[in-house]
Amino acid sequence: MDILKNSYLDEELEAVKKQGFLDYRTSQLPTWCPGCGYFGITHAIVQTCNDLQLKKEEVCVVSGIGCAGRYPIFMDVYGFHTVHGRSLPIAAGIKLSREELTVFAVAGDGDALGIGGGHLPHTIRRNVDITLFLFDNSIYGLTKGQTSPTTPLNQATNSHLKGNPDTPLKPVSLALAYGASFVARCYAGDVDGMKDVFRQAITHKGFSFIHIVTPCVTFDKTNITWGRLNGTVEPIEPVHDQTSFESALRLAEIPRLITGIFYQDKKRPSYMEIIRETQS
Amino acid sequence: MADVDIVIEICGSAGDGTISSGEILSRFMSSQGFEIMSFDSYPSEIRGFGKCVAHSRISNKKVLSPGKYTDILIALNNAHAISQLHTLRETGIVIFDNKPPNYLEEDQSIAGWIEPGMISYGIPLLNLSQKASGSARGRNMVALGALAAIFGIDGEQMKSAIHARYAKKNKVVIDSNINSFAEGFTWAQQHVTKVDSYTFGHSKPKPSKEKKAIINGNQAVAQAAIDSGLHLYAGYPITPATKIMEIVSRELPKKGGVMVQTEDEISAIGHVIGAGYAGKRAMTATSGPGFCLMSELANLAVMAEVPAVLVNSQRGGPSTGLPTRNEQSDLNIALFGGSGDSPRIVLAPTSVNECYTCTTLAFYLAEKYQTLVIILLDFFLSNSIRNITTPVPPKANQLNSNVAPTKTALKDYKRYKLTKNGISPRAIPGTPGGMCISTGLEHSEHGHPRYDRNTHPAMTEKRFNKIQGALSEAPKPRWVGPKKNVDIGVIAWGSTAGSAHEAVLNARKEGINVAFMSTVILSPFPVKEIKKFSEACSRILVPELNYTGQFANVLSPHLSRSIERLNMVTGLPISAEDILEKIRDMAR
Repeated sequence: MDILKNSYLDEELEAVKKQGFLDYRTSQLPTWCPGCGYFGITHAIVQTCNDLQLKKEEVCVVSGIGCAGRYPIFMDVYGFHTVHGRSLPIAAGIKLSREELTVFAVAGDGDALGIGGGHLPHTIRRNVDITLFLFDNSIYGLTKGQTSPTTPLNQATNSHLKGNPDTPLKPVSLALAYGASFVARCYAGDVDGMKDVFRQAITHKGFSFIHIVTPCVTFDKTNITWGRLNGTVEPIEPVHDQTSFESALRLAEIPRLITGIFYQDKKRPSYMEIIRETQS
Repeated sequence: MADVDIVIEICGSAGDGTISSGEILSRFMSSQGFEIMSFDSYPSEIRGFGKCVAHSRISNKKVLSPGKYTDILIALNNAHAISQLHTLRETGIVIFDNKPPNYLEEDQSIAGWIEPGMISYGIPLLNLSQKASGSARGRNMVALGALAAIFGIDGEQMKSAIHARYAKKNKVVIDSNINSFAEGFTWAQQHVTKVDSYTFGHSKPKPSKEKKAIINGNQAVAQAAIDSGLHLYAGYPITPATKIMEIVSRELPKKGGVMVQTEDEISAIGHVIGAGYAGKRAMTATSGPGFCLMSELANLAVMAEVPAVLVNSQRGGPSTGLPTRNEQSDLNIALFGGSGDSPRIVLAPTSVNECYTCTTLAFYLAEKYQTLVIILLDFFLSNSIRNITTPVPPKANQLNSNVAPTKTALKDYKRYKLTKNGISPRAIPGTPGGMCISTGLEHSEHGHPRYDRNTHPAMTEKRFNKIQGALSEAPKPRWVGPKKNVDIGVIAWGSTAGSAHEAVLNARKEGINVAFMSTVILSPFPVKEIKKFSEACSRILVPELNYTGQFANVLSPHLSRSIERLNMVTGLPISAEDILEKIRDMAR
């Protein structure tokens, strides 16, 4: 028996169908909490795939573990839900085998920066042509509210009742320092902003790093909430030079919700291009 | 034709050219038609004057093991060679430098350690090297020259072999080596009075018509992987598996493949799983510590049903253990490592030749059965050099063994469809209509996460049943000796099997009623054949290189006989003599 085949799902699918985005959705209803920022991100990814007219069978989505890890289950493409922290090596293995595929890695803050943090600099420096969607809600949600690598200092969590003693990481600054050829930040409450960045990230030849800030509506009621984030978004000014590493790093170090493309190097060859040129 | 079966050891300190002179000797003797099995041991430190030993068994009969006792020991370094004397036969021969640069106390020179019955030939290695090349670096070649002169090896032909070995170097290097060799050869001809009976001269075998490849286990694995259509290799350097990566890195890009040197072993197996998922053949090779890191993702290959070939060349453990020593102690982790009930295919070649055939089989099985295939090598097998008949590359129909779904099946595609043989047709990304979710969570036939009481039992059973098919595709266990009324049955696996085989043959010559069995497939386990063998034998002996008898423990529940164990953890390969001694004990 498939308990998900209920009228609620039918209504949901009907509503989606009317919007014309059914193609990339499966019969599996997302298991995220009502109000979760991941719905918005999913919506933006699906719409971007539609806009780019990507063939469903040529899209691979690889995820790790956590709330973000469930993402491929809800998308009608080739989805691979793997183990905690390893979406990047596996996504890289796919892309290096089948260049014609569009490969997404989806990871939460724990997945990409905690347990899998060691893979990030190396996938970046190889410039493998994949896109990393970093769903950053600054908390371990699926295990119910423990401190993550991006939980703000002193925030009380279920593993640090008296406040987080560990200084949080700065994902955008890290990606820049590692030498990523495409670095952007998005806000889960801004679908149009996400679509714009996602489109450019997917078409970028090389590794694209997208830091997506989103609240966890269940386990963080105080710091990173819709209420506190809405209205604070600052899109990057058009005068910003995306080719300037120094300006990008300066911008990244500003502790505000600045969104858009921080840095892009369109000239740098992707890993397969380098391999073909130098190794054979 | 007289039997020739001579073990030569060249012993020196790092930098003496020990290993390279051993390699020249082995290659040359192979080209002369002899069977060879060579094995080098060296310290895990690159510098620091550690002990190096180039061990080579040269015979005009089939060679199954490296040989425990040395017949001829060439001492390039006194202290190290003295510490190697314990392997010299009681009637063995020592070639040493009788004009060392400094005065040596009697116990500092190997000459002072020669026991009655042994024979020593003093050659002024350093003086002749300086005369020939102006440096001390030709001592190894002087020694080879003397060896050739004393034991009836064709000096002219060997000279051309040395020339070939250094052909890519500059003229000075070539000349110094050739001249040093010639100097040693001539000096020995003029000054050495031969008092032993060892010779290669009268027993030269007929050169075989078969084309021979002189390779070690690592080279065999790398070549087999490339011949099997390898697309992606990912790995992290670790002794004794590193050489596989180095060879692949040179050959694979020429074929349009990719070698990724990853940041760690976790990433390596991750890349392999990604490539396997994308429908390409991929492999990683590691040793114990790296194998431990790979456990979690290796289990993902099992659960998500993705092909992955993982080579583990065992060394001494646990932890960092003994990086340059031999052991067979990763059997437990290979068979049972990781969480949950996790069936996988495990192959353990017993010879360099089987390193090739097991690797081609591993790719075929991994793809067909959509699972993890582990190839267990060990330090000895990785590094032992054999001259084998050039292997036959896999046939075209073995290069793609994926079972793809039919068009009808794609209408309601079930990635993990429960089928009779457990194999669910697999849609490779890019196949229209095959979109699905693959996951490490327990899942329904569609791949959707399910934790209900019916799904997990059905899927667990499927994963176990599925790999049973591999048993009929792997080589049957090898049975040597009588088929019934056997007194002692020896069952061995991995590199130990060669020594066990030889021990059994020799024991039979001594009139002991003994038989031998080995199997390359360890999971799924060939219960039927092993049972049959054990029922034909009154007693069972299992020799292996680990403390607890890991293979004996696997066998034990399947046998009605109790098992006699021979467990060694000296870090050295087990010898035929050790096993023969045990068989004699049992037969008494």
